[in-house]
Amino acid sequence: MTTNDMIERIGILQARSARFIWTLIFLLCLLANSSAGFAQNKKVSSFNAFKHKLLSMKLQNSSEAKLNRRIQLKDGQYTLKEIVNEIANKAGLKFSYSKQLIPVNKKVNVSEETLMTKEALWKVLKGTSLRFGVSGSGQLFLFKRNETKKEQDLNEAVTGIVTDASSGQTLPGVNILVKGTSRGASTDSKGHYEVSVPSLKDTLVFSFIGYKKQEVPIDGRTEINIQLQAQAISGEEMVVTGYSNPINRREVTGAVGTVSTEDLDKRKVSNVSKALEGQVAGVQVTQSTGAPGDAVQIRIRGEGTIGNNNPLFVIDGIPSRDISFLNPSDIKSLDVLKDASAAAMYGSRASNGVIIIETKKGSAQKSSLNVDYYSGLSHVTNLPNMLNAQQYMNTLETAWDNSGYAGTNPYTKDKGRSDFANTDWLAATFGPGYTHDIDFSTSGGGDKTNYYLSSRYYSEDGVVVYSNDKIDKINFRGNISSDITNRFKIGTNTQLSYSKEDNLNSRGDTPGIIRHAMLRPPVIPVKKDPSNPYYSKNDPFTDLPFYNGPNDYESSKYELTQNPVALAYYSDDVIKNYRLFGNAYGEYRFLKNKNLKFKTNLGVDLNFYHHKVFNKNFGDDDGNGLPMDSGLGRENRPNSISENRQQTVNITWSNTINYEKQIGKHNIKGLLGTEFVSNRVSNLSASRQRFDFTSDNFRYIDFGNTDLGLTNGGTGSEWALFSYFGSISYNYNKKYMVKANLRADASSRFAENYKWGYFPSFSAGWMISEEKFMQGIDWLSQLKLRASWGELGNQEIPNYAYLTLLHRNLAGQYQVSRYGNPNLRWETTTQKNIGIDVLIADKVSLTAEYYNMLTSDILLPITLPEVVGEVSPTYVNSGEVRNKGLEFDLGYENHINDFHFKINANLATLKNEVEKLHPNLPAIIGEVTRTEPGHPINAYYGYVMEGIYQNQAEINSHLHGESNPSAVPGDIKFKDLDGNGIINSNDRTFIGDPHPNLTYGFNFSGEYKGFDFSIFFQGVQGIDRYNDGKKIVDYDTRPFNYTTRVLNSWHGEGTSNTIPRVSFTDNGGSRVSSIYVEDASYLRLKNVQIGYSLKSLINNQLSPLNDVKIYVSGQNLYTFTNYTGLDPAISELKDYGTYPQSRSFIVGINASF
Amino acid sequence: MKFSRKIFTVLFVFCIGCNSQLDQSPIGQITPGQIDSSPSAQTIESSVNSSYQLLSNTLNIIGNWNWSEGKVMRNDFILQDIAGGDMNKKWQPDGDQAWMDRVASFNFTSTNQAFQGMWSYDYEGISRTNRAISDLTDQDIMSKVNMDAALKDRLLGEAYFLRAFYYFDLVTNFGDVPMILEPLQNFNNAFAKTSRVAEAKVWDQIRSDLSDAEGLLPDQKYSSQSEPWRVSEGAAMAMLAKVALFNKNWQKVIDKVNELENTGYYALDSNYFSNFSVDKEYNESEVIFSYNHESGKTPSKGNGLGALMGWGFIAPTQDFINEFEDDDPRLNYTVNVDQKVIYKLLGSTTDKYKGNADSPGNKIYIRWADVLLWKSEALIQTGDYPQAIAIINKIRERARTTPTIDGGQPPSGTLPDRNPNSTDKAQIMGWLRHERRVELGFECHRLNDLKRWGVAQDVLTSMGKSFKSYNKLYPIPQSEIDKSGGEMKQNPGY
Repeated sequence: MTTNDMIERIGILQARSARFIWTLIFLLCLLANSSAGFAQNKKVSSFNAFKHKLLSMKLQNSSEAKLNRRIQLKDGQYTLKEIVNEIANKAGLKFSYSKQLIPVNKKVNVSEETLMTKEALWKVLKGTSLRFGVSGSGQLFLFKRNETKKEQDLNEAVTGIVTDASSGQTLPGVNILVKGTSRGASTDSKGHYEVSVPSLKDTLVFSFIGYKKQEVPIDGRTEINIQLQAQAISGEEMVVTGYSNPINRREVTGAVGTVSTEDLDKRKVSNVSKALEGQVAGVQVTQSTGAPGDAVQIRIRGEGTIGNNNPLFVIDGIPSRDISFLNPSDIKSLDVLKDASAAAMYGSRASNGVIIIETKKGSAQKSSLNVDYYSGLSHVTNLPNMLNAQQYMNTLETAWDNSGYAGTNPYTKDKGRSDFANTDWLAATFGPGYTHDIDFSTSGGGDKTNYYLSSRYYSEDGVVVYSNDKIDKINFRGNISSDITNRFKIGTNTQLSYSKEDNLNSRGDTPGIIRHAMLRPPVIPVKKDPSNPYYSKNDPFTDLPFYNGPNDYESSKYELTQNPVALAYYSDDVIKNYRLFGNAYGEYRFLKNKNLKFKTNLGVDLNFYHHKVFNKNFGDDDGNGLPMDSGLGRENRPNSISENRQQTVNITWSNTINYEKQIGKHNIKGLLGTEFVSNRVSNLSASRQRFDFTSDNFRYIDFGNTDLGLTNGGTGSEWALFSYFGSISYNYNKKYMVKANLRADASSRFAENYKWGYFPSFSAGWMISEEKFMQGIDWLSQLKLRASWGELGNQEIPNYAYLTLLHRNLAGQYQVSRYGNPNLRWETTTQKNIGIDVLIADKVSLTAEYYNMLTSDILLPITLPEVVGEVSPTYVNSGEVRNKGLEFDLGYENHINDFHFKINANLATLKNEVEKLHPNLPAIIGEVTRTEPGHPINAYYGYVMEGIYQNQAEINSHLHGESNPSAVPGDIKFKDLDGNGIINSNDRTFIGDPHPNLTYGFNFSGEYKGFDFSIFFQGVQGIDRYNDGKKIVDYDTRPFNYTTRVLNSWHGEGTSNTIPRVSFTDNGGSRVSSIYVEDASYLRLKNVQIGYSLKSLINNQLSPLNDVKIYVSGQNLYTFTNYTGLDPAISELKDYGTYPQSRSFIVGINASF
Repeated sequence: MKFSRKIFTVLFVFCIGCNSQLDQSPIGQITPGQIDSSPSAQTIESSVNSSYQLLSNTLNIIGNWNWSEGKVMRNDFILQDIAGGDMNKKWQPDGDQAWMDRVASFNFTSTNQAFQGMWSYDYEGISRTNRAISDLTDQDIMSKVNMDAALKDRLLGEAYFLRAFYYFDLVTNFGDVPMILEPLQNFNNAFAKTSRVAEAKVWDQIRSDLSDAEGLLPDQKYSSQSEPWRVSEGAAMAMLAKVALFNKNWQKVIDKVNELENTGYYALDSNYFSNFSVDKEYNESEVIFSYNHESGKTPSKGNGLGALMGWGFIAPTQDFINEFEDDDPRLNYTVNVDQKVIYKLLGSTTDKYKGNADSPGNKIYIRWADVLLWKSEALIQTGDYPQAIAIINKIRERARTTPTIDGGQPPSGTLPDRNPNSTDKAQIMGWLRHERRVELGFECHRLNDLKRWGVAQDVLTSMGKSFKSYNKLYPIPQSEIDKSGGEMKQNPGY
């Protein structure tokens, strides 16, 4: 049989196999049920159960860890002292005791078995009045159970079970103390406790290492079940890495950064992406603009490729490229997988890093309801100072005189005109913004079923006047999981979301509202005077300056800027997204000890997108346009509507088998799996021009008055991905750890022979602090060295990029739209990482990483020379980019009496360099950038400003070559790099690096009694930005408004060597030059929050209320920067003057029941 | 363990099923295979038609308001008339689209978008003609589509002409240029194709394409009576004469124009403005080749100069106005200084199309008066002064017999005949230069004329422009040099 025959047969099989699979799954479920029943009948030793619980329990500090260490007891009879000493030795603990305490003659019979140190101790101390404890430095000591009163004197006993709040697992060894006495007890291996109390009015104090201390008034009860909240000790959090159970950070051998949800709650963010800002070293988060709902850009370890650098998000196991639809308060954990080893399981699409997001789950035995509401007020900051009307007129006169134009100066005669205004366009364009957020969530569960339900309404109206920059979001989430049997678990996490975004065209060149607000001359009023013959009630705004009928020259004298207030008012551009994102999974545990787990996870991501724009006609009639549209205003002439609807169906199905095995000190974990992703998009669009009625009721395609300009369109596309993956990890006594991963992916985006990509990775870890020679160093709780190597892939290119595509233009002609590259293959990133984790005295944690990653076969769109015609860039695999850097995360947690505080700081360096490009392409040229080997991606490239020509002699000596565009004194003097007396394209060089050298964040949070406080700084150092806004306001040849900077411009020899003469002819400002490249480093006080809990005022017995917290916070409070644009923190290479970030204040209340 | 065996079976079967999902057909996309496997006469004809498009003044044929790459419209009015000192960018000087001013003053660099735009328009035109020629000369395709042989010849002739026309524009503006004569087979070849070919070879190719076109096009005035805008045999003959003129092959110019004259297709219209009038399009006897602009078509086929004029663009220089003799009726047909309207470019003696991006006035590329003046120039160069002067006087006669724009007659003594007996070559050449400037003003010939006559530097520097000898060729667009990866070299001086 030939290969082709095979493929054909497989195709036939495919239809059958779908039915077959479902049948099998159904059968599997049935079988799983029956086998679970079988397993229940078998007696499972309590030891096994205990072990299981301990495994999933959070591990404590190193001493505590020693109590968990597995030791082997030998058959025989021992004295108590002997056997305790023996156990202590085996566990690596030092045994100290008092002779009076130990009953010398007490003999203990021991049978051979392997168990945990603490279990062994409980066993041998059973029947004595002795208890044991461990100190932080590893001392094991025995003490007598406190018995100041005799048992019979105690009048009451309280019993109960202590469990972990998040996992629901019972907790053995928890200390319970009657407050104000030294009387207490601890929980047994099943988490059960019994304590005798003098009175049922007393209060019990529950404490356990790694958990928050909890005080519970007995209030007359005799049974009190308690859930303890985990208190993460730095370096001990659980880390979610994908496809397998969360693992303790101690066992992690790759580079993983974690955002704690505790920190997340302290900052009210509108978008989950923003929760990552400044939290993890090496993760740079920038909001493209401050407009409500605008995209947030995330970069993990810089830009490795020239195309798409966005990380992959994995939400409850389902990959996605977008997280804007998530509700921040639903997030349980955010883990950033930075290196190849950590991200390896997502190999194919992980080269830009992976962010694993888990949403909250319900917890057993406790129901809670949480309501949060906040309201915010925001306003714009950091606006430039523009010229007022008088300064503007003077500057225009100077500019005219400097231009050498003949004829009368048209601006001179306007001075003192009575109809001049003095408008501050920026002030007129911005106003206050408002935010509201209300969030309900409830969770709970029973023995078998847990749930978490939440809903949220969020509304944000931005800082531009009128409410056409706005976003409304509604979210609903339901997470349910259920243990069908003790081996079989099913669950679903489902999110429904709706968002409605009112867009303003706030960025880019035209018609960017913000740009027009800066450019528009201050002499024009915002609205026309009602006595003006061209005034109308429906359109009271000024448009063309001093309009006097069509084709009036006066109207264009001050340039054809648009009125930003009118643009904001008439905008009707709405994007609606309806999204269903969720997964359903089933999990079955095989084998006697449940060590083999099979999981199937089906994810669905459905998105319905609707974009509708109504372009209402307004403004003055400038005489242009078709005869049929004569008399209409120049904006949106004729009026029109356009609608676009798109639906995306993304299905992900993964199947995994996890195996865990422990043989003595050898721990082995294995994983095998497959994943299938399919994505289909289709869209339908229509547009129409010329509407008689423009009220909201008629803003639909049907109501146009002519078929001229009625268009429609629609198309579709699809891609699919299929993968096999496997992983094996081994550790010896949690001291030596190794892990190997392999993922094989096939993508439909590549041609037949290049579909498959293979991505291996290896990592190793060494817990040095567990070594004998480190035992004496008490202050060092943990020291771990890690190293990893691995390869990751990238396929983020348009579909069908390997094919040559044609398109049919409106005239029915076929034209090449893109030449294909049949040899297109996977882009690969090879990454090396070395990391060290240090934990000092359980209080200070430090993680340091060094990484070096090389992206090769970069998927590069190359623009062909135009000699082949106008075509889109062709994708090629070409070039290599190296990113390397250091990352540091520092945590410190301590308390001074009642003042608990926590510090998190992180810092990352980055060096980005292109090492190779396509042989035909020595450089990739952007408008202001150039990508070339030996330099960073998209480095700014242009002329170097040397100063200002002060006099003709200086010009003559500098420009001694023949071919220069002429210059006059006051023009910008560019460096003549090749010294030939000519300033031409050979005098361009690299003038800036848009990549940060350093990114950092600093969090401080504290709690004192009912108060909590947090402050968060975030910054970027060593980054350049091309400030195009400055170019158009201060250096343009058109009579736009200027900033007050031009008041110090050159106006004669020696007056300025930095700001050239103002002019209507080119003063050198039209060239791409270093004059616009500015240092965009900044330090921003991002967030300050103060909260107060009213818990102490709540009467616990009467109120269902558990806690009420009120809080106020301020965001984007202050920015330290030398950047002169509106916002240094923008993601675009060319800053056109974007919608700036605003400063906001929030007041909120949170109640939990 | 039997369960796990089941699972593996499930996974295995599932994997095979998914694997076949990876062969995604390109939904909503057309590949060359689909076209080539089922070509039709209609698609082939449309590919020829689309080759004309780059000659239009229609806005945004490529790019969308892409001023920064100079692609909003065809830039020949900037490179010829603004640079040549006849035309100002705007009636009132201002800083709008300042790059055009930098061309006007010859203060430009190789990054100026005027050159990039021109380059892109011409090469996109060449790319479309190459595809058309490739299909029309492919035996397999032609046997499949069953196209009428006469139609095939005509379409092929049109395509050859258009390719030559675009190369003519490139070679006169930029000198040596990359020469691409067939569709790109593989994107990798694009880079190899960027090396510049010696000017002489490009001229050879132009001549060869034009001769092919001349042979293929039907022997009649209009190639198609229903579509008179199509390239005609006469246009191919005229272009051959023009090519000879630019190569100073004087006798060839005279012979070719005589040959064209003998066909009897063309004559001077009695009214100068008939050449330009929207009402007279394809109903007069002088226009040889023009682009047919039409209003109200989808996609737009309108003349975008109307919009530019509405924004105050396109104004005469004083030097240009001063060139006209007293009462020359042609001045007022060219420009109304008071109303600030360029009538001959709008195709109307009112301002009704001013401001209209979709106006119907044709763009005139070759007309009989132009051709006659080529012959006159060649006659001067070969020493046949009387005949040369006769042609000039013929042009003047038509001008002075054209009614003035307000319907009157110019006063007698207007535009008197030049002395037919003059033997002063410089004097006669001066008459020719004057006549071309006023007769053909704003028709995108000016800088080429000045360069051909070898007077560009004198004339332009006397107008205050910083024209240097190397400015005879424009710079290759910098972006194109950058993209070529060092394959393409810049013209000297830039």
